[in-house]
Amino acid sequence: MWTEKYRPRNLKEFVNQKEALEKFLNWIKNWKPGSKALLFYGPPGTGKTALIQAFTQEKNFDFVEMNASDFRSKSQIEEVFGRSMTQKSLFKRSKIFLIDEIDGIAGREDLGGVGAVIKIIKESNYPCVLTANNPYDPKLRSLRESCILVQFKKIHVFDIEKRLEEISKKEGITIEKEVLRNLAKRAEGDLRAAINDLETVARGRKKVTLEDLEVLGYREREANIFDTLKVIFKTQSALPAKLAITNIDKDPEELFWWIENNITKEYEKPEEIAKAFDFLSKADLFRQRINLTQNWKFRAYMIDLMTAGVALSKKEMYRKFTKYEYPKRLAILGSTKGLRKEEKELFLKLSQLLHCSTRKIRLEYLPYLKIIFKGNLEKIIS
Amino acid sequence: MEITVWAEKYRPKKLSEVINQRHVVERVKAFVEEKNIPHMLFAGPPGSGKTTIALCIAHELYGNSWRQNVLELNASDARGIDVIRGQVKDFARTKPLGEVPYKIIVMDEADNLTSDAQQALRRTMEAFTAVSRFCLICNFSSKIIEPIQSRCAVFRFKALTEADVRKFIERIVKGEKLKITEDGTKAIVEICEGDLRKVANLLQAAASLEKKIDENAIYDVASRAKPTDIKEMLELTLKGKFEDARKKLQDLLLRQGLSGSDIISEIHRQIYSLDVPEDLKIKLVEKCGEYEFRLSMGGNEFIQLESLLAQFLLANKQ
Repeated sequence: MWTEKYRPRNLKEFVNQKEALEKFLNWIKNWKPGSKALLFYGPPGTGKTALIQAFTQEKNFDFVEMNASDFRSKSQIEEVFGRSMTQKSLFKRSKIFLIDEIDGIAGREDLGGVGAVIKIIKESNYPCVLTANNPYDPKLRSLRESCILVQFKKIHVFDIEKRLEEISKKEGITIEKEVLRNLAKRAEGDLRAAINDLETVARGRKKVTLEDLEVLGYREREANIFDTLKVIFKTQSALPAKLAITNIDKDPEELFWWIENNITKEYEKPEEIAKAFDFLSKADLFRQRINLTQNWKFRAYMIDLMTAGVALSKKEMYRKFTKYEYPKRLAILGSTKGLRKEEKELFLKLSQLLHCSTRKIRLEYLPYLKIIFKGNLEKIIS
Repeated sequence: MEITVWAEKYRPKKLSEVINQRHVVERVKAFVEEKNIPHMLFAGPPGSGKTTIALCIAHELYGNSWRQNVLELNASDARGIDVIRGQVKDFARTKPLGEVPYKIIVMDEADNLTSDAQQALRRTMEAFTAVSRFCLICNFSSKIIEPIQSRCAVFRFKALTEADVRKFIERIVKGEKLKITEDGTKAIVEICEGDLRKVANLLQAAASLEKKIDENAIYDVASRAKPTDIKEMLELTLKGKFEDARKKLQDLLLRQGLSGSDIISEIHRQIYSLDVPEDLKIKLVEKCGEYEFRLSMGGNEFIQLESLLAQFLLANKQ
């Protein structure tokens, strides 16, 4: 496998992720028992494991690894790491623990796994490195406290292209620049995927053309919310807008409010805004129908209206960068919860005192009471 | 210092103190004297004495123990079928305390009951006639289903006249030793349109600001008490400042706690005074209707109102 063959053997070959590398070297230099662990995070194929492998190979460290393919219950983790935790290596070599894909710890099967990992970090005589795609997974909350987070960014398309070019040269393959560019682009920052793709189309060939790429299937990736919004707001076709949300780990209910909050960030023409909100209003009705009938088939209509409907409300794509924002309403709902509850209680008391509904209190009494009591409504009740 | 709300302080406690509504008072007095009241339906404009008469009946029948024998409910706060099946039924089925052989359930703003709840109420009314009487209060009796109307003695409350309002003002002025000018009184009469609750509130607010209450003081308070936020929200939208309008809407719903349907009604009223072409006004009214309908289908208040506002953005273009 070319991904193995062309893995960096030493730190000189590890060319990307300069920032992460620096953080790592600094950390390992100052490491002593009881120090925090490092948590490498970032999308797949960005060099998290490769960095450790390059480092241990160059410095002649031992490394003890466990990854998602192993079971990771408490007892299994202790079995693998427990003994070597305090044990000295043969020939007094130093050692690094690598727990790969820590976010793959499944709640039920790997019972107590996270706790066991934390224990290892605290008690180990050797440094510990963890990797994850999503470090903010709620399962990892307690773990984050014993870790320093180090981000691995997507690898730039030019860097991927450069690496692919080097590899094809070494393999003696003639490959056009355009083909390399295409391979690099479709990898979306994942170097390992790019090398795998290259191997798939180039192995056993002397020459690779653009047509040869047709054999490659697209990788499904989990998109983040901003990518999803970008698709919905930029596309002019119905299907891509609708499909944009299938790849994301957010429920449509939350997504609804993300779209709601960002329509006016993207669209500028009044008729587009009016149209988009009209679709959202209709989507909202289908949401209500789901609640009423408990018939989840309605969900499909809600989703289509809020994605494709909003997407097609524009006349043409806005060629601009839009900074999409977190739904304000969700934040306000959260922050005013206590206040609203207090107010509700006050109004219920007033309603008993004045023999009318809370609605009437608001509409018919409140404007005057505010003047009479100078805003100090608690006085009336006492 | 104790402050009371005058609308409550000057609410009549005895039927003989009630302002006007002579035909209702006369009939009801007869019921109370015989200690035998039917189910009743009070319909009439706001502030004309419906709740007051219901409470007077309670006072005169039960005296100080009225609270044990009267269940006061507001249909706009407790409008669902659960309340009818739960709270109302539980209260209605148990025996009253004291010598009056039945209890009274006062259901205020009954026009806000859902039709399911009204259906449930109909059966409850029949099942517990031996120990309970209902007094339903509403603005328009047409919103009450016919089977319920037919089980009730229906009383229509008249809109109060200028003379009635003046009588009430005098009562408060005397009780609070206020100074009020004739034009002040006139202003109140004009603004309140026979709504005595409003009279009491307006007068108390004016008195809290001025020693001598004249026309200016009254109009000042009235304009301060008028909600301006919705108008501002519409104006912002028409100026194309949609983001600000959205913030305002958020504030109206979450911080001021107005209901979506009340906001739409106010938007509807405001349309006619907007600075937009006449033919557009009627289109906007149509939009109002459409979104009010969506709201009534269970739509989210914020989303539906925001979408309605977005339609007003179009008016900006012409």
